[in-house]
Amino acid sequence: MDWLSAVNLDGLAAVDFHWLGLVLELVLMPLIAFVVGLGLVLMLRKIAARLQRRVGPPLLQPLWDIIKLHAKETQTSHGLIHEIGIVMAIGGYVAAVTLLPVPGMNGLAEQGGLIALLYMTMIPSLGLALGVGQCANPNGSIGISRALTAMLAYDVPMVIVIFGVAFHFGSLNLVHLIAAQQAGGIAGWGIVQMPLLALAGLFALQGMLGKQPFEIYVAPAEIATGPMVEMGGKFLGGLFVMQCFQLYTGGALYVTLFLGGGEHWLTFLFKVFVVTAIPMTIAMVFPRYRTEDMVRLFWKWPTMIGLLGIAFVMN
Amino acid sequence: MATSPLTVVDQLFAGLHLPDGFDAVAGVIRESLAQVTNSAIWTRYGQQSLEWLIGMNPVDRLFMLSALTLLLMLLLGRLRSAGVLAVLLYGAQFAALLSTDTLFGAPAAAEVRITVADQSLHWSYDALSWFFAMITIGAAFVTAWYAAGSWMRRYREAGRSAPAFHVALALNCFGMLLLVGSADLLSLFLGWELVSWASFLLMALVGGLGAQAALKYLAYAISAAMLILGGIALIYSVGGSFEYGAVVAAIRGMTDVQVWTLLLLLGGGFAVKLGLLPFHLWQAAAYAEAPGAGSVFLGAISARMGLFGIIVFIVGMIGVGRLMTLEIPYTFMSSRELIAWMAAFTIIVPTYTALQQHDARYLLAWHGIGQGGYMLLGLMVGDAVGSAGGLLHCFNYAITQAALLMAVFAVVHRTGTADLNQLGGLVARMPLTFLVLLFGIISLAGLPPMAGFVSKWMVYRSLITEGMPLLFVAAVVGTLGTILSVYKLIHNIFLGQLRVEHQEVAEAPLSMLIPMLGLSALIFLAGFIPGPALSWVAQVQGQLGLPVVPWVLGGIVDPRGGLDMIWLVGILMAGFGVGALVFYGFGGRSRRVHQLDNYAGGHFLTADVHYQYSDNFYAGLMHLIGPWYRGSFRWLERSLAATLDLVSFGADGLYRLAQPTLLMLAAAVAMLAWVL
Amino acid sequence: MTHIDQVPTPGAPLPVEIGVKAGAARTNPFARVFDELVRFAQSRSLFMLHYCTGCGAVELPPAMTSRFDMERLGIQPMVSPRQADILLITGYVSVKTLKRVILTYEQMNSPKYVIGICSCTVNGGMYWQSYATAKKLNDYMPVDIYIAGCMPRPEAVIEGLRGLIENIRTGRADAWKDYYRRYDHYLGNQQRLFGADWQTPTDVIAEARHYDLFGPATLGAHTALLEQHQRPLEALEMRIEIPELMRRRSRADQGGTAQ
Repeated sequence: MDWLSAVNLDGLAAVDFHWLGLVLELVLMPLIAFVVGLGLVLMLRKIAARLQRRVGPPLLQPLWDIIKLHAKETQTSHGLIHEIGIVMAIGGYVAAVTLLPVPGMNGLAEQGGLIALLYMTMIPSLGLALGVGQCANPNGSIGISRALTAMLAYDVPMVIVIFGVAFHFGSLNLVHLIAAQQAGGIAGWGIVQMPLLALAGLFALQGMLGKQPFEIYVAPAEIATGPMVEMGGKFLGGLFVMQCFQLYTGGALYVTLFLGGGEHWLTFLFKVFVVTAIPMTIAMVFPRYRTEDMVRLFWKWPTMIGLLGIAFVMN
Repeated sequence: MATSPLTVVDQLFAGLHLPDGFDAVAGVIRESLAQVTNSAIWTRYGQQSLEWLIGMNPVDRLFMLSALTLLLMLLLGRLRSAGVLAVLLYGAQFAALLSTDTLFGAPAAAEVRITVADQSLHWSYDALSWFFAMITIGAAFVTAWYAAGSWMRRYREAGRSAPAFHVALALNCFGMLLLVGSADLLSLFLGWELVSWASFLLMALVGGLGAQAALKYLAYAISAAMLILGGIALIYSVGGSFEYGAVVAAIRGMTDVQVWTLLLLLGGGFAVKLGLLPFHLWQAAAYAEAPGAGSVFLGAISARMGLFGIIVFIVGMIGVGRLMTLEIPYTFMSSRELIAWMAAFTIIVPTYTALQQHDARYLLAWHGIGQGGYMLLGLMVGDAVGSAGGLLHCFNYAITQAALLMAVFAVVHRTGTADLNQLGGLVARMPLTFLVLLFGIISLAGLPPMAGFVSKWMVYRSLITEGMPLLFVAAVVGTLGTILSVYKLIHNIFLGQLRVEHQEVAEAPLSMLIPMLGLSALIFLAGFIPGPALSWVAQVQGQLGLPVVPWVLGGIVDPRGGLDMIWLVGILMAGFGVGALVFYGFGGRSRRVHQLDNYAGGHFLTADVHYQYSDNFYAGLMHLIGPWYRGSFRWLERSLAATLDLVSFGADGLYRLAQPTLLMLAAAVAMLAWVL
Repeated sequence: MTHIDQVPTPGAPLPVEIGVKAGAARTNPFARVFDELVRFAQSRSLFMLHYCTGCGAVELPPAMTSRFDMERLGIQPMVSPRQADILLITGYVSVKTLKRVILTYEQMNSPKYVIGICSCTVNGGMYWQSYATAKKLNDYMPVDIYIAGCMPRPEAVIEGLRGLIENIRTGRADAWKDYYRRYDHYLGNQQRLFGADWQTPTDVIAEARHYDLFGPATLGAHTALLEQHQRPLEALEMRIEIPELMRRRSRADQGGTAQ
């Protein structure tokens, strides 16, 4: 937060402002992620509606959904682990977005890195898996087994992409990545320098967001929405909040790796919305892959494209 | 020196700055101690022995305590308090290890020597020995504690021999201490054989499937020992001496062909113990069918003795640099890449075999094989962060696997089964065991905030820095497979529907709970503040001649991508706090419902319906990768066994049909010719 | 038997007897502070459970799809009763189905709204003579809105939903509380239809107690009958019991003899 250093108050040490700035960043970054996530959820539903020649929900619909769910008068809990699972699902993402730098705020990006961010985003999934486990509903357990298998599928091209980007820029530090890309103008962006990896990354992003054709873990008519089957009230509200963070994290990570981060807020938000709109648009015209077909698909095409991209990057 | 316990205690209390209320207690302790030390018996025997003990060579002291443990277990093993005695003795061994001060200080040589036929076997401890010895004694300590109470009672009631167990454990510990302290090739071989046979003893204690698996292990172990002996013979024939100093010089002067042979012999022998592909088929059954506490010890550290050998010879003496120059003809791979790829396959294949297991002990045993691959992979990358990651993973994995196996065997103790398809919902009856298993699986999967994340992160980091994309992907695929299979473990045991027959299951007994919870706390601490463990690893690296990792209290410092676990874990906890605020603060009140009050499509659930998804947990994935596991390694094993059968049949015929005296004459002539 | 004149018109609140004075404590701490906002959010975001009991279900897909688009009113379909707010009973309710409907209703989280679509839920409709159907739905569960017709067109369905939305926004749609407050009455009707051994896994009385929704008519003769054969399903709470410790303690209690 550079503006803080310009402030000069007599008698106050500069180090206090440094700490204050960091705390402010750690509070603001999740809030911004949540708000942007709400917008992304709205965009998702509007795109789906428009593609189906409908009107779609009004502007603040995701917010009303979350408020309504948390304001439920009676809620069913299946135990302490069920509740802690949802806490972990929300909390893990709140922590993970502080590792993702945004224009003007680096948060904890220097203390973590690309790999730490990737693994931090697995904690909410684990928390959700534990919570669903205690719901003692086989639909939920099947959903989680499919979700984990799907993670195995899309993470392979994802880590190939991460390797390629980290090797190309010589650093795992996201702040460095953004700076290196912005130093070269548009020609310095990841998508221009590593187009094959960007393509593989987009593929992996589709899987990471859990959108059609890769939403087998939800499968509403088959396994009754899988992990969400016994979630109601604030439990489902927590999952809606998690979805906001999930969409934001996916989009912002892709923008950071390939689209040069954000010089200032307008360009950053524009890029995030554009990037997230692509998988959503593709999703709405597809049905659903079976689990093993999804694994086979991800281990074939995006992996090959990614490995080809790495071959180019390492020469 | 005339130290008396009194002065030691005085110094201790002075240093502790106890508050006022404790003075009375301190006074009582001091008075009783003064009475004891002033008595005649003490001045005659106690003081002298204390001085002798303190003045002894530290390594000798460690060996003596370990041998004493073995002896006492042999004599007193049948007593009810043998378990407590064992725990105290392992604690004493740990204290003795700390007093050798070889981690941060200089290497210490033992004074005890065995001289046979002009060759002397001697021992010395350096940082690497200290590291492995620390893990060994720690594992023995928690195992002995785990086995001290209800577990031993049940073991005795089943008609099994408690002294045999204690002796086996003590012998394993003693053998490993000898092995890691070896200072020449002969003491190495002695230690190696002792360790191999002691493991066999621990595996074969209860007979049945365990004894069968132990016999299979024995076949592998004997072949491994012969390979190692061959390697030692090669070194001796080139260098002319068994001392490590001469060995290093000899290896430096060896030709490429000789180094390749040495690699195959020594590497193969150690790889069998480590469980590297394709020598891994013995390990899962042998470790899983061992008696509960024995399995904990074996899983934590036993296989890493093979890693110790590989570190000493291949990483330390031959060196990764030399390995990189050993090209495999007609390929672009060097021996370093070959070993790294063997390690990578060791990560992937056993992990996905673990995925298919429905016995919890086998699942964890297969993971044990897989995690050894990470350690070797990190060491083969060879740079500061990678080798540190490989070494740290030994420690992190040991505490993780010990905790996991303890939790699983606690469940077996209470429910009588380890079959994942027969359990479920136990979190309501064994919540602390669930907590231990949860910490263990987060660490095994390598997720923050637990210890496993730090060492795996370091291995990944080094793979990226060194530019090895396929190995990086292989390592991550292994981690993903681990996540899948450990979730199945925790889901099938602790989550889901609680069965009617398990409604009255009790929590694990205290003797099991305390070491389990202690290890879980250690797992978390080692993940939260990895600095101390990294400092040990840095010492080992320095002693081995590897580049030293730039460590800080929170992790690694590196401008191009470091790791600060204190910040990460802090923000994670803060995130959980925010999540709890949102969930409990903004949400309304919830009500806990029974597990049968569940969505079943409008169906009325009853307790006799098994409403649990356990069997074939990853059905979709298994449709795809199931056919790949056609047991190709078992085919290889069976074909090797068949070949051996044929050869032994032929040899048997030779001995029986031909004149035995003629054969003896031929053998004697050949030996004379070789010697002369 | 309800006369045709007694069927209420859409949009008008149902005359539901509430045994306790209105305005009892709500469980959500922020509900009191942000009552208006919460009611607005509840009216603008409705998850319907696509139950589809009978022929009337065919009118729902047109209401959801592009032509009439319920999502612009904030209504989207959900799969499981835990997730849903609205239970749509579309069409005739046979006795067999009614058991599952009641189970589903009890599994939903409050506030929940029941909409009786089609005339069969109002007075039996086409099956008014049948031995196998339930004639009046709100004998067995409180109903917020009826939408009569055979079948009502999507426009009528949406008209009814908008009436419900208006009721929710103004705070008049709390018929769900009636189920807890007069559980004995509803249970009596259910027992008359299904038999004296009727029970569901959901413990409605314990829920009423837990959420302070107990009313004077919650317990009665019918709940006493239920109590006779219902195994109380208590949630499996986590417990830490170590018998070795307890044994030692109990032996110490028995006179202090060391084991």
